[in-house]
Amino acid sequence: MQTDRAADRSTGGLTLREARPFGPLRGSAADAARSLVAASRLAWSIEANWTQPLYLVVFLAIRPLAFLGLFLAVFSIGGRLDVASIGFVVVGQAVFQIVGAALQGPTHALLDDRERYRTIRYIFATPSSLLPVSVGRALVKAAIAGSSALIVIVSGVALGMPLRGGGVDLPLLLVVVPLGLLSIVGIGVALGAVCVQLRNDAWQYPEAVAGTVFLLCGAIFPLEVLPGPVQAIGAALPITWWIEGVRRALLGVASPGRLGTIPTEELVAILAVGTVVIWAAAPRLFTFAINRAREKGHLDRNTAS
Amino acid sequence: MSALTGAAATQVAERVRAETLWSRSYRARHALQSIGGRAYPRIFGMLREPSWLFFDLVFPILNMSSIVFLLRSRGVDEAWVSATILASALLTFWASVIWMMGAQFHWERDSGNLTLYITAPVGLGSVALGMAFGGAVGVLFRAAIIVVAGALLYGAAYTIADPLLFGATLLASIAAMYSLGICLSSIFLVSGREADHLGGLLNEPMQLLGGVYAPVRNLGAAGLVAVGILPLAPAMDALRQLALPQLGANGLLPVQAEIGILVAMSVVFGVIGRFLLAYIERVGRVGGKLLTRAD
Repeated sequence: MQTDRAADRSTGGLTLREARPFGPLRGSAADAARSLVAASRLAWSIEANWTQPLYLVVFLAIRPLAFLGLFLAVFSIGGRLDVASIGFVVVGQAVFQIVGAALQGPTHALLDDRERYRTIRYIFATPSSLLPVSVGRALVKAAIAGSSALIVIVSGVALGMPLRGGGVDLPLLLVVVPLGLLSIVGIGVALGAVCVQLRNDAWQYPEAVAGTVFLLCGAIFPLEVLPGPVQAIGAALPITWWIEGVRRALLGVASPGRLGTIPTEELVAILAVGTVVIWAAAPRLFTFAINRAREKGHLDRNTAS
Repeated sequence: MSALTGAAATQVAERVRAETLWSRSYRARHALQSIGGRAYPRIFGMLREPSWLFFDLVFPILNMSSIVFLLRSRGVDEAWVSATILASALLTFWASVIWMMGAQFHWERDSGNLTLYITAPVGLGSVALGMAFGGAVGVLFRAAIIVVAGALLYGAAYTIADPLLFGATLLASIAAMYSLGICLSSIFLVSGREADHLGGLLNEPMQLLGGVYAPVRNLGAAGLVAVGILPLAPAMDALRQLALPQLGANGLLPVQAEIGILVAMSVVFGVIGRFLLAYIERVGRVGGKLLTRAD
């Protein structure tokens, strides 16, 4: 309390409050970090407190396992299920749980706040930026999806999916997972910036983009199966490299096709460059789009879709 | 203002009942009008909002394409590609059953329309039947586009020896699924924030149990149970046998038996749905919570 008072300073009869520090952070960085944490806590409440913890765990397990079961059922068509070959699908499908959640997170956070909870105008009136709020919401969705991904991978191992000889390549995993997550949250932020401008079907676009990315990124089949020009689009997506990096870290083998011939160091470099490019563009696009939405009155819009 | 009690209250209630007593034919006509009124926007809405049609088609086509490429990467018989396209068309009905039937009243409550339904002299049963009829007709058009797109994009081909039997099976499948949808609408209506998650649980897990992309017989005992309770399972199994005779050996039961199951499901789910809607409406009115927003 005394520290708070000390942080206040008087200027011309008005009392302005200086930004409180947040750990080692000061100024606007501390504000952003505080917003991020608050948004994450809120997102956790929204995502998790709709039911009892036990049901939540069951829910988090059932859907991805069923999704995996669907692909394994397709895998078993025309013969017995070969467990040695399921690693490709298991890892791809597991990572895509996170991709889907993180891609949709920022858009759904903005639209939920605008149309469902109708709080976006109040958030906008606070000193917080909407960017950390959106990122915080997306990260929690991604973390929850991460637990589903873990369940899928453990199930794959239980089914007999062979892991990398000598154990999981932890250093590689620790590099590619944060990079991949950052890249996908960045794309999600850019998508949110676009969707907040739309009059119709804003809720549907992230799902459509996620479905398209699922088709293009080689999550469940090698890129070579796709038609030639479409392969190039798939190879340009950071998610493709992320999934390939996780496959190498967990399974110890590269994917079949051209993607598998790229050295791991090069793969990590491509993923890092992609992430940097995305984060160079996404916040600028977000700020521009939110300002435009405010000027055009889109922040008060209710699309009723 | 004094409250009515005892005999006076009974007299007023009887008078109101007598004045609002509709003949059977009037009630039937009124119910048909209600069904038509609710079906109308489902059928003609897409003409006014073409973007809805786009999204209704893009999701199934993307899912379908993923499975097709997975099948091709495995080098399986191309007949399975045709089966996947047929499954995707059937899944448009299933998605409509979950979101446009099951979740509809829940959304209507959140958007404020349920208050209008409840105060209007229309039963929720007629509204639900209108949603089912309009939804089925609207989705039939989308399903046809998906099959044509599958044929054009992936060369899907079908050999339907008995078009009448195929049509009857499709009709029985749609009826069974939408009857289940009426049951689901009651369950979604009493759900709070669970509704969205419930919709999720009815998607992939039911697709797996329904043997949508792979034969339901591969699921063993679970497949048999699914054929008995989940319309997707006998529907997909029968349609696959009829449209792709070369995959007939993968069928679980004879087509006629599966049509019988679908007809029985239509009746049973329809009766349960009507009972559930009436029950939920009554309990909701008494508890005063039927119109309370979930979030």
